[in-house]
Amino acid sequence: MREVPEQRIAKTAIKVWKIQAIILSFFPFIATIALFILANMYDFSYWYAIGLLVFTVIEVILSVFIIPYVRWRRWRYQVYDQEVYIQHGIIIVKRTLVPMIRVQHVDTKQGPILKRFKLASLAISTAATTHEIPALREQEADLLRDQISILARVEQEDV
Amino acid sequence: MSEPKRLHFLAILFQTLSSIKDWFLGLFPLIFLFGRGNFLLYSLIGFSILAVIMIGYSMIGWYRFTYQLDDDQIRIERGIFIRKKRTISKHRIQSINLSQNIIHRIFGLTSVQIETAGSDADVDAKLTAVTMSDGIELRKHLKPSKQQAMLNVETEDTENAFASDQEDTVTSQIAEKTDNQYDYDYVLENNYPKYETPFKRLFLYGSTSGGFSAIMGIFFLIIFEVENLIPEALYESTTAWLYAQAIWALIALFVVFLVIVWILGVFGMVIKYGDFTIVRYDEELYITRGLWEKKQLTIPLKRIQAVGIKQNLIRQPLGFASLYVESAGGEINKTEGTRTIILPLLHKREIQAFLEKMLPEYQLDWEQLIPAPKRAIPYYLIKSSIVPFLAMIPTAVFALNWLWIPKAFFVLALIIGWIDYRTAGSCITKEQVTLQNWLFSKETVILKHRRIQALEKKQHFLHRRHRLATIKASILNNFMGQHYIVHALDQEQVDQIGDWYSYRK
Repeated sequence: MREVPEQRIAKTAIKVWKIQAIILSFFPFIATIALFILANMYDFSYWYAIGLLVFTVIEVILSVFIIPYVRWRRWRYQVYDQEVYIQHGIIIVKRTLVPMIRVQHVDTKQGPILKRFKLASLAISTAATTHEIPALREQEADLLRDQISILARVEQEDV
Repeated sequence: MSEPKRLHFLAILFQTLSSIKDWFLGLFPLIFLFGRGNFLLYSLIGFSILAVIMIGYSMIGWYRFTYQLDDDQIRIERGIFIRKKRTISKHRIQSINLSQNIIHRIFGLTSVQIETAGSDADVDAKLTAVTMSDGIELRKHLKPSKQQAMLNVETEDTENAFASDQEDTVTSQIAEKTDNQYDYDYVLENNYPKYETPFKRLFLYGSTSGGFSAIMGIFFLIIFEVENLIPEALYESTTAWLYAQAIWALIALFVVFLVIVWILGVFGMVIKYGDFTIVRYDEELYITRGLWEKKQLTIPLKRIQAVGIKQNLIRQPLGFASLYVESAGGEINKTEGTRTIILPLLHKREIQAFLEKMLPEYQLDWEQLIPAPKRAIPYYLIKSSIVPFLAMIPTAVFALNWLWIPKAFFVLALIIGWIDYRTAGSCITKEQVTLQNWLFSKETVILKHRRIQALEKKQHFLHRRHRLATIKASILNNFMGQHYIVHALDQEQVDQIGDWYSYRK
């Protein structure tokens, strides 16, 4: 766990995360507007609504314009014959080792947004944990899935 | 091979009791909450009708439940409306436990619990009441023995065996041996590594157990609930009398009450863990315990995911600890989670010897434990005290008078952080990693390399600057996996554990 994993995930992941963040930030925006209207109707201070607005704006700036880039820069993985090595995390950097003989199954998943960008996510499950590589190119995800499932097929010790 | 058999008819009683208990526990709080006047009466009538129905239901259920032993499997048929048939192959069975509660023991019965490798309770089976001799017979018949398994392999290898008569003699010899081996009384009487917890220790275990606070909680609950049932007039006169007494009487009452609760707790624990005996035999740990309910537990070694040593707040200063194993699969009635206590209480100096004798696969390397470095102190203190610290700010602004509450918590949190720092540590040997931390009790876990499902190293930017890292090791248990985390260790130490864990050599 000294070295950094080599492989990066697809760069379009940034766009996907931005879209997701924009969709999610609808909720605080609606709440802010609602609070303004309520403040108007029931005659209480606008400051609460202004506070929420400031919060919303900061949230949007962070989640749309900063976090996706940092997150992408941090996300690395590498598949060895014996194990999968993953690095992710924005403030706290997590490096994880998943030995092939502990892998129980591998899934690829694709939601509507990922599909639009021809991406897929890859989830590696052991008996105790699940590790997801969030945005890989479709073919790459399929290839990795098959590769890992072949490597994981080495004789499993009983658990 | 044998006829389908029914359980002993007392199984009806057990079934009725357990369903009444389930219903009662579900409805009890409701009745107490809304139970006034007529409603109470109606609900009692409802209960009686329900009880009659449940007795009838249990009787039919008993009638429809049969089990049958075949050559290498047990077949169970049950279900009143939907018939369920289940066949469990002998080779899939990992352990068979015979447990007896007080009613079983009066009538010479036993319950039989058949456990398979899976963690799904649905594939296991429980016979609630059979006669003791039937139970022992069942276990002898179904428990696959190592010798037999080996023999099967051998016969396969020498399929065209020419010396068939020779083989026959071998078979009969081994059969004789295995017959004895799986009789647990035989095991208990013979010289397998064995450890019995003396009564004095059990008493100490009970009196230092955190369990008594739980009982206290229940007591309070009952008192508050009973309040609703007491007639108003009586209630008022009693309260008036109580107020009339001096405050010291109340305090004395409270102390007496505490002592009673504590004694009850001790008794509870002694009854639960009384006669605690653990035997290491072959690749299994075999535990019997309980004064009223005699419980049997079999833990196959290959199910053990981790061995843990726990010292709670009271036991740690006294130098006592309890030992548990974290295991996957088995046990239908999971009341204690996946943790199984393999020794209620022993002095920390005795742990090493105990492990050597009973579980030589695991070693305790307390001396080699590498503590967290000094530069980690601020992180431990901040981690534990950040929440009460943040709570102090709004309290200081809005309710200055109450500031002492978060302040007290803040100091307490600092102490917790400090103890955690003093306790935290890790060490690796060839096959195992030992992790230790503290959160109200000192926990040391020993993990085998091949039992760790994934290993994670966590660092934020300040950690990186100070060459610190947090480690997280995940193992399997029945539900979501168990994660062991030690914060802010030396980065080099964590990297070494990473190298040790990596299969890429």
